Amino acid sequence: MSQLQARFFTEDKRYVVDDVPFSIPAGSEVEDLSNVINKLLLAKNASHSKVDFDFLVRGQFLRTSLSFHMETEGISTEEVVEIEYVERVTAPEPEECMMHDDWISSVDAGWSYDKTVAGHTDVVKDVAWVKRDGLTSLLLTASLDQTILMWEWNSERNKVKARHCCRGHTGSVDTVATDPTGSKFCSGSWDKMLKIWSAVPTDEADEVEEPADRPRKKQKTQQLGLTRTPLMTLSGHNEAVSSVLWCDSEEVCSASWDHTIRVWDVETGGMKTTLTGSKVFNCISYSPLCRRLASGSTDRHIRLYDPRTKDGSLVLLSLTSHTGWVTAVKWAPSHEHQLVSGSLDNLVKLWDTRSCKAPLYDLAAHEDKVFCVDWTESGLMLSGGADNKLYTYRYSACQTDAGA
Amino acid sequence: MEESSGSMRSSKQREEMKKVREKTARKRSKEEEEEQDQDQDQDQIFNFNNKPAEEEEEDEDLSDSEDSVYSGLEDSGSDSEDDEDEEEALDAAADDDEEEEKEEQAQRTEERRRKEGGVTDGKEEQKKDEYEHDSSDEEDIRNTVGNIPMEWYRDFPHIGYDLDGKKIYKPIRNKDELDDFLDKMENPDYWRTVHDKQTGSDIILSDDQVELVNRLQRGQFGDVNFNEYQPSVEFFSKDVMIHPVTNRPADKRSFIPSLIEKEKVSKLVHAIKMGWIKPRRVEDDSRGRYYDLWSTEDSSILAKHKMHLPAPKIPLPGHQESYNPPPEYLFTDEERALWEQQDPSDRKLPFVPVRFSSLRQVPAFPRFIHERFERCLDLYLCPRQRKMRVNVNPEDLIPKLPKPKDLQPFPTTQSLVYQGHSGLVRSISVSPSGQWLASGSDDGSVRFWEVRSSRCMKTVQVGGAVKSVAWNPNPSVCLLAVALDSVVLLLSPSLADRQVVSASERLLSGQDEVEPAEGAGPVTWGEAEGEELNQGIRLRIQHPKAVHQVVWHTKGDYLASVMPDHSSHLQVFIHQVSRRRSQNPFRRNKGLVQCVSFHPVRPYFFVATQRSVRIYNLVKQEMTKKLQANSKWISSMAVHPGGDHVICGSYDCRLSWFDLDLSTKPYKMLRHHKKAVRGVAYHRVYPLFASASDDGSVIICHGTVYNDLLQNPLIVPVKVLRGHVITHDLGVLDVTFHPTQPWIFSSGADATIRLFT
Repeated sequence: MSQLQARFFTEDKRYVVDDVPFSIPAGSEVEDLSNVINKLLLAKNASHSKVDFDFLVRGQFLRTSLSFHMETEGISTEEVVEIEYVERVTAPEPEECMMHDDWISSVDAGWSYDKTVAGHTDVVKDVAWVKRDGLTSLLLTASLDQTILMWEWNSERNKVKARHCCRGHTGSVDTVATDPTGSKFCSGSWDKMLKIWSAVPTDEADEVEEPADRPRKKQKTQQLGLTRTPLMTLSGHNEAVSSVLWCDSEEVCSASWDHTIRVWDVETGGMKTTLTGSKVFNCISYSPLCRRLASGSTDRHIRLYDPRTKDGSLVLLSLTSHTGWVTAVKWAPSHEHQLVSGSLDNLVKLWDTRSCKAPLYDLAAHEDKVFCVDWTESGLMLSGGADNKLYTYRYSACQTDAGA
Repeated sequence: MEESSGSMRSSKQREEMKKVREKTARKRSKEEEEEQDQDQDQDQIFNFNNKPAEEEEEDEDLSDSEDSVYSGLEDSGSDSEDDEDEEEALDAAADDDEEEEKEEQAQRTEERRRKEGGVTDGKEEQKKDEYEHDSSDEEDIRNTVGNIPMEWYRDFPHIGYDLDGKKIYKPIRNKDELDDFLDKMENPDYWRTVHDKQTGSDIILSDDQVELVNRLQRGQFGDVNFNEYQPSVEFFSKDVMIHPVTNRPADKRSFIPSLIEKEKVSKLVHAIKMGWIKPRRVEDDSRGRYYDLWSTEDSSILAKHKMHLPAPKIPLPGHQESYNPPPEYLFTDEERALWEQQDPSDRKLPFVPVRFSSLRQVPAFPRFIHERFERCLDLYLCPRQRKMRVNVNPEDLIPKLPKPKDLQPFPTTQSLVYQGHSGLVRSISVSPSGQWLASGSDDGSVRFWEVRSSRCMKTVQVGGAVKSVAWNPNPSVCLLAVALDSVVLLLSPSLADRQVVSASERLLSGQDEVEPAEGAGPVTWGEAEGEELNQGIRLRIQHPKAVHQVVWHTKGDYLASVMPDHSSHLQVFIHQVSRRRSQNPFRRNKGLVQCVSFHPVRPYFFVATQRSVRIYNLVKQEMTKKLQANSKWISSMAVHPGGDHVICGSYDCRLSWFDLDLSTKPYKMLRHHKKAVRGVAYHRVYPLFASASDDGSVIICHGTVYNDLLQNPLIVPVKVLRGHVITHDLGVLDVTFHPTQPWIFSSGADATIRLFT
């Protein structure tokens, strides 16, 4: 067995070893390398307890034997190999399972298809928090009945009250997103429009010209809260808008069934960039940490884009492991390489962009289609699906990352 | 004078030459007599080589001869010497094999002659003189009697008269025969003695003269020195000589055009112009110098002759056939047993070799008739001609089609399954926006599904097996037509914008005032009430018979329903929803109607019966075309969104594509399904069409239609989609494409609807 010259380094202060090249067998795998590091650490610090490590060669996770990996990556075996090691993220464990009455279409901290918040006349498609501080929180629900409702939730009394009914869409509202400052939100609908609304709760209703012959509906909506009209309408998509998000406070990004992702300028209302794909986009997610846009589409691929490129449509990376439509993707809020995805094949997958061939973990908890995934800031992963269950997963890397 | 002196000179030269030559010849002749021939050759060569030298000598001789001629100093002596020399030279040069003795003898005779002397010598001198004054045509001056027969003087003692008029007396001739004989015996010169009639004297010929006579007799030239075989100088050869053969300057006429020729040419030209002369005609073979005997012969007969096969020959008999074969050819017992066991057709030999000691003992051949019969059979059954079998690679016959990979997008994988029905799903329809899917099932319910999440949003119990559902294609209304039993229901599912919902409600309710005229018809319109109204059912259109299919016009106002019936002409109804009117467009029964369809743009109406598709113009109320499907039983039909193409699925597993511009026969027949085709569909945007079959598969085909009328549609099967479970021998019952995405929905007998993307 041939030998390789390797130098190990890490950014984790706790597990630093001496910066000297080692000669290691070329056929060694992750487990062997992990043992080597553990021995080194044990020699340095007698009180060291065994830790599992993962290894990165030139930014790619080592998943096969070292020699095979280097061969496929085209790395010369003549030179000293720089191997970075990080503590292995342990498998996320399903921690809690909350049963709902109906399919869970969206989760931002747990809202569902069911009409728990009795107000919508139809199915709720998306939810978003506007602000969560203190006892009262504001949240938005987008529904098939073409309205978005803004709710005020008093956590102390656990009561919700509809504050505003945002009307203007002529199709089912599929997606809603709040801007980082919490003063505006954007909604995307089946009627191909994006609308920007004010998220500040007021006590006055906007002026709406209601058709005179619909008194019944008007009354109903008025009961639910004050009517609000959109600040701005962004039109340009040729098909239904499936997902919107805010890149920053001036930029809105939307994905649509017309195979495009468009970036809009909220100030001017104009379109800035168009990324053209080949399949319907179901969901997008943007990470401010790595400035990448992840998209899930109906051809079971997760694709990463750089939204700042002018020409667009350049796929940086394609993550393929799902076997059904990818219905949800979400970047980790605190980790620049990790994202989670949910698919119609009942699986939730945790990805690291440094290992694009295979996901880090498959989370096979759901028994039916997964529709939504999310992270909480407290280090939980959430996923909901057609089996009416909302799963939360405890995930160690988040805590360690948070700690570091 | 000069001429003669010239000739003298030359003869003298020659003599001198001869002297030289003769000396050498003599030397040699003594030594090597036998090689004379060669010597002569050498002499000749020598002679030839010495020519220039000879010429040099000429000058010297010239002076000598002049001296000799004019001085006259040396007279007879020199002459005799000359003679002698001359004779010697002659002898040496003679070609005959003269021997030394003869030569000596000749010398002797010559000497004797000289001694005898006077007369001849004198004569010779005389002669010389005479020649000087005389020419050959003058009469003989020796005797002046003239040219008369000499027998006239026979009786005279003289024979004539000389120049002086004196008689020339005959020599005393008293010789009798005996004297003559003696003379003959004794006189050695007798053989060369000649009687001169002119003078009556006997003349003894000199050697010279004898030689001349001999030469002439042999047919040779009289002059010894004449060389018939002079080496020739080739003037006209391929070699370019530095000096011209003739130095004559070229004639002037070679530089100027010939007037005569010009005149001749102009005469010819004039004659041709005037038509007196016809230019030479090219020989015309078309009429034929040769007659092709076989030109009218049938080419197949000729080919037969060309490919003629001779009849097979009988193999020559071998040792086995012999009456006395070598023992190794005789059968052993085992071989014989084997031979007897074998089937006659399997036997290697048709007989058993038998040995007889003599030919006499050979009995009659019992298989003679058989053998003749087999031979006749062979001749009768032998191949008469060579059949050229064309070896074509079957793959080459397949037309070059683009790869399915290049024809993306098309549905490839199953993405969603819409579960909820409990009976087989007969019909599905997608809303024009592509958000909703309606399905009608045998379990008596119509379900509405959200396409993207496969969630069943609504279930309407209609109370009967649903045969057909059709979503109104007009996007400004939201209506669904449902056919069950003998009723067509119009549902307003209220799954759209409020304005759209209200528009559809208006469409259904706003015509109460126009209605009453319609009471008597076979079709009755009725409003739904009570519970049905809550479920969304708005109108009931009661038909006299069971309705199998409903289909909307593109505008969304007209609705056609099909009631297949063999015996009635009431098979198709066209309803106008806004005015609640129904009419039966056909007065006659043209066969069992399977399905109908509206043309997407023009006022045409497609009616598919069992065997054919009829296209009616609804404005002119006439049939415009009848398509022959070439299949036994049409099950389904779809019209291309462009309106110029129709596909038909049939229960005998075929899918036929009609190009209405091409012909009434199918442009293409696809036989990919194993079982009956139940449903066909075109995509509204993408160049795709699909067929669903009872074998549980959906086949997606790419079908590009070109705007160019000259280019035929490109039809490529791209994908077989499987997923449905075959239940009760029924597979997929209906297919429909998503209006905007390259997705396809299929409903099956397994109570599911599947979305393939």
